[in-house]
Amino acid sequence: MGVPIYPIRIEDLLFQGFYDGLAAGELRVTADAETGEWVWYPPEVIPGKPDAKLEWRSVGTEGSAYSFTTVARSLLPGDHREEVPFTVILFEPDAAPGVRVPGILIDAGGVEPACGMRLRFRPVEAGDHWIAGFAPVPA
Amino acid sequence: MHGNKVAITGVGETPFLRKGEHGVMQMVARASLAAIADAGLTPKDIDGYISNRYSGHGADEIAYAIGAGERRFCAEPDSAGGTATTGHALLLAQLAIEAGLARHVLVTYAIQSTKPGGVYAFHAREPQKAGLEMPAGFYGQPTYFATMANRYAHEFGMTEEEQAAVPITYRAWATITPHAQRREPMDLESYRQSPMISTPLRAADCCLTTDAGCAYVVSAVETARDMPHPVVAVQGVGLGFNNYPQGVLFSQKPCTFDYPGSESAAQAYAMAGVDPKDLDLAQVYDGFTISAIVQTEMLGLCERGEGARFYAAGHARPGGRMPVNTSGGHMSGGYVPGINLLIEGVRQLRGREGERQVPEARLCAVAGLGGNNHATTILARS
Repeated sequence: MGVPIYPIRIEDLLFQGFYDGLAAGELRVTADAETGEWVWYPPEVIPGKPDAKLEWRSVGTEGSAYSFTTVARSLLPGDHREEVPFTVILFEPDAAPGVRVPGILIDAGGVEPACGMRLRFRPVEAGDHWIAGFAPVPA
Repeated sequence: MHGNKVAITGVGETPFLRKGEHGVMQMVARASLAAIADAGLTPKDIDGYISNRYSGHGADEIAYAIGAGERRFCAEPDSAGGTATTGHALLLAQLAIEAGLARHVLVTYAIQSTKPGGVYAFHAREPQKAGLEMPAGFYGQPTYFATMANRYAHEFGMTEEEQAAVPITYRAWATITPHAQRREPMDLESYRQSPMISTPLRAADCCLTTDAGCAYVVSAVETARDMPHPVVAVQGVGLGFNNYPQGVLFSQKPCTFDYPGSESAAQAYAMAGVDPKDLDLAQVYDGFTISAIVQTEMLGLCERGEGARFYAAGHARPGGRMPVNTSGGHMSGGYVPGINLLIEGVRQLRGREGERQVPEARLCAVAGLGGNNHATTILARS
């Protein structure tokens, strides 16, 4: 299986904490700094609270797949034929109900992707940056 | 708002082409003039305009291009093409006509799928997609809808044969539709030869790449009685919205395939005073197989979770008990978001569509998905 290579928008500070977390080996998502409620993806404005602040929190490594797809033809701008196939996972961390983090399936070892499958997070190198990887957890 | 107050009095389109020679404005103008002529009108008779920002041209440019007269009303639905053209525009047109702001309202949409950047370019401008999804390879409508299809199959069950029945059904209609873009027959074997894009969606499970324009004219029912065609009235319109912006819609919504179609259908049926069993046929926005399946359920043509099996049972095919997408839909007929489905509904109710004509068609539902919005319209031959 391949790895998608597409540049991250590091100029957009909204997402910097996510990639800082990956570089540090952690999966981090955003929460309302005051209430601790998960607010994901990070919006410019927390719903109903335009003056509230977000903070990045680690959500551990364990979770499950909400859904998946194996991309045979990448639609990313540019030529990505060398990178397919790869399997996109929408990962639901156990520690953050309602949150879904996009990443790719890794270390599958012949295990077919499935909704609800148990997964463990590990960052994966994708060119000059990291993306979220999720490996099946043996039953 | 009440039903049977306005009618669709003229329809027109340009040929559905994989790659055309004309720009969007030319296609809008050609389709508009065809629709105006179909209504027995001239451009000078058009005094209301409903355009769409996704299509890319405002009412002033369209009025100029068709050589129109006084422009008394113009509006732009705040919804994507599938919802805008199949319901939102009709609602706005009725409001304008009933308020006396316009007499004949022109609704237009054109798409140049082959333009530089492709049809998904607008997603790349959404911060969350560019910042979080694209680096993970989660990009492009087939990929988003593929994750919905896998989740749907997880919750309700769906075999490959059941999934394939949707595009095979629409292709069966396209083979008997002279203006359809893809008319070669499709069976399970040829479906399986279609390239996989993003599992489980093959190219055959996706709407076509089309260059074309479409337009229709809306007039008061009383006015329509003196116009060339049988009156096809708007008997009910419903709109459903949710507040998930495009940037989070395909990943963070609790159920990613829970479009607001049940809400729009309930409103439309209530306004029309009918229910699904009264329908003679339906047109369903088939951007992808999965979205067509779910909207078929939301229209009430079958039970929740039974959409794919509804198609596999043959109910929507020519000769079936509930014909769906009778000109091939967006997967085989042509893809001009929503509007060519609505036009096909009007033509079926006029009753002159030859081999593909649904016998004695008098009531047609049209379902249109547009991002986080959904429209259902009930058309009736009165």
